[in-house]
Amino acid sequence: MRHGKYPFIIGFLVVPVALYCTFVVAAYLQAFQLSFTGWSGFGRITYIGFENFHKLWNDDLFWQSLRHNLFLLILLPVVTVAVALVIAFLLNVGGSSRGGQTRGVRGSKAYRIIFFFPQLLALAIVAVIFQRVFGPDKSGMLNGLFPASWNPWLFLADERWAMTCILIVLIWQAVGFYVVLFSAGMGSIPAEIYEAAALDGASRITLFFRVTIPLLWGTIQVAWVYLGIAAFDAFAVVNIMSVDRGGPNGATSVLSLMIWRNTFEFSQVGYASAIGVVLFFLTLTFAALTLRVTRRESLEA
Amino acid sequence: MVATTAAAPAARPRRRVDDGVMTVGRSRAGTIAANTIGVIFSLFMLFPVYWVLNTAFKPPTEVLALTPTFVPTHPTFDNFLSAFKAQYFLQDMLNGLVVTLMAVAGALVVGFLAALAIARFKFFGRKGIILVILAVQLVPFIALLIPLFLMLQRVSLTDSLIGVSITYLVLILPYTVWTLRGFISGIPRELDEAALIDGCTRGQVFWRIILPLTGPGLVATSVYGFIQAWNEFIIINTLNSPAKQNLMAWLLQNQTTRGTAWGPLMAGAIITSIPVVVFFLIIQRNIATGLTAGAVKG
Repeated sequence: MRHGKYPFIIGFLVVPVALYCTFVVAAYLQAFQLSFTGWSGFGRITYIGFENFHKLWNDDLFWQSLRHNLFLLILLPVVTVAVALVIAFLLNVGGSSRGGQTRGVRGSKAYRIIFFFPQLLALAIVAVIFQRVFGPDKSGMLNGLFPASWNPWLFLADERWAMTCILIVLIWQAVGFYVVLFSAGMGSIPAEIYEAAALDGASRITLFFRVTIPLLWGTIQVAWVYLGIAAFDAFAVVNIMSVDRGGPNGATSVLSLMIWRNTFEFSQVGYASAIGVVLFFLTLTFAALTLRVTRRESLEA
Repeated sequence: MVATTAAAPAARPRRRVDDGVMTVGRSRAGTIAANTIGVIFSLFMLFPVYWVLNTAFKPPTEVLALTPTFVPTHPTFDNFLSAFKAQYFLQDMLNGLVVTLMAVAGALVVGFLAALAIARFKFFGRKGIILVILAVQLVPFIALLIPLFLMLQRVSLTDSLIGVSITYLVLILPYTVWTLRGFISGIPRELDEAALIDGCTRGQVFWRIILPLTGPGLVATSVYGFIQAWNEFIIINTLNSPAKQNLMAWLLQNQTTRGTAWGPLMAGAIITSIPVVVFFLIIQRNIATGLTAGAVKG
């Protein structure tokens, strides 16, 4: 039977491989190439060597944006994973126990649907909604909920808090997906393990840290990588929500937004491509590092 | 009270068995706390969505009222009507559907075949292909906008629904291949072999055995692909002119040009979300299966 193998393999894989070679590999090579040019998006392409990268090194906005990406990179996975784990644990193990069986809280199915709901809304729509939530006058949702005597909070218009508002939106959008993902993982942990631990006198908190987390480690690792990548992107939310695209005063600028603005607003395609190259290496480094570092930890545990 | 005293004697013999668990701290207070957290978190998740609905049914004067009301005092459909009547709305809705369906259908065909190859054959470069599939999901797509534009321009596929469809296909393909591969790996090889012995050709095995058994996986991946493609707006906005956008891009266009017309904007957001919500409600029972199939059966 073996001789008939390769025609199938080649036939099945030729289209996807061709698509990736053109749309991803070739496109990235071109982005690398453009990063060494001073191209404006129109007219002639001139090569300028490493000048874009040199300019980037001295660009304050670049460092500011990078700091914001790192802010998201640290807080988005930490908060989202923590909240999602706790909620998923409550849904699966937090309920009353009858006959020694651990169960989820009542209505856990309904909760699962509710939590997943934001995942259905496009990031664009989420951003539009939260613009309204964070409205800086009394007609905004949160300011409307606050006592009438308070001065309206500025939220996104406040340099100190704008980035936190962005973070909250990203968490709100992402957390439901990870609740469902972790719930599915917890569902596949055999109930006997919980029962045995419970009989040995483990409290719910011990169960969480000693049983659930170690057994879910693989899933948590994947979640971490995905959330990290979302933190490196964050373009849609920042672009739509932030005051003055990345403002006020650059307080919400991120690398992806810089790429966009340099390409379409400032006609500096070469410079934008250089930022893209930096972002490419940052993302891949992050993914490789996360997988490497967390793998070692899981072996020690 | 009567009921509890009546039940008590019957429950007593079991009490000893339960003792170990009763000390777990699975107290009534703990359960109440768990439920409370659940409810509060639900409010946190639902309130903004509720606020959208609330705003969409309010006339403009109420939307910007300084003391917002929790229910529209004069509910109106005007916002929805004005969204439907707005320029390009219906056109962009149709564009979005066409682009999304083409991308999903294409990704299913291409993805199913690729998943078959990866799940059922051992060959040189298989590991490399798996690695590439995973890595593609990591790279920031935004840096590719310009090269993508230049490439499609060369073959006159900018400002075209086909160009966008192909790009979306590429976007949703990694997830499709990865998930379907999980489903196909779950089908016992013995079935293939039995069919081969009974005289099926390889092609027939794929067509008659594996394809029908992958059904749930095809549904899960197509729904996910639909959501991804329907919700995308950056690529289509870059590649196409205003007449060839999708609803998401339309929405954002209107957000910038109309400024603070929140009512119609929220109404538009609701209309735009309907297809995805409907799809989700259809498959919500299987959502966890769809999400984890690729990962669990690796």
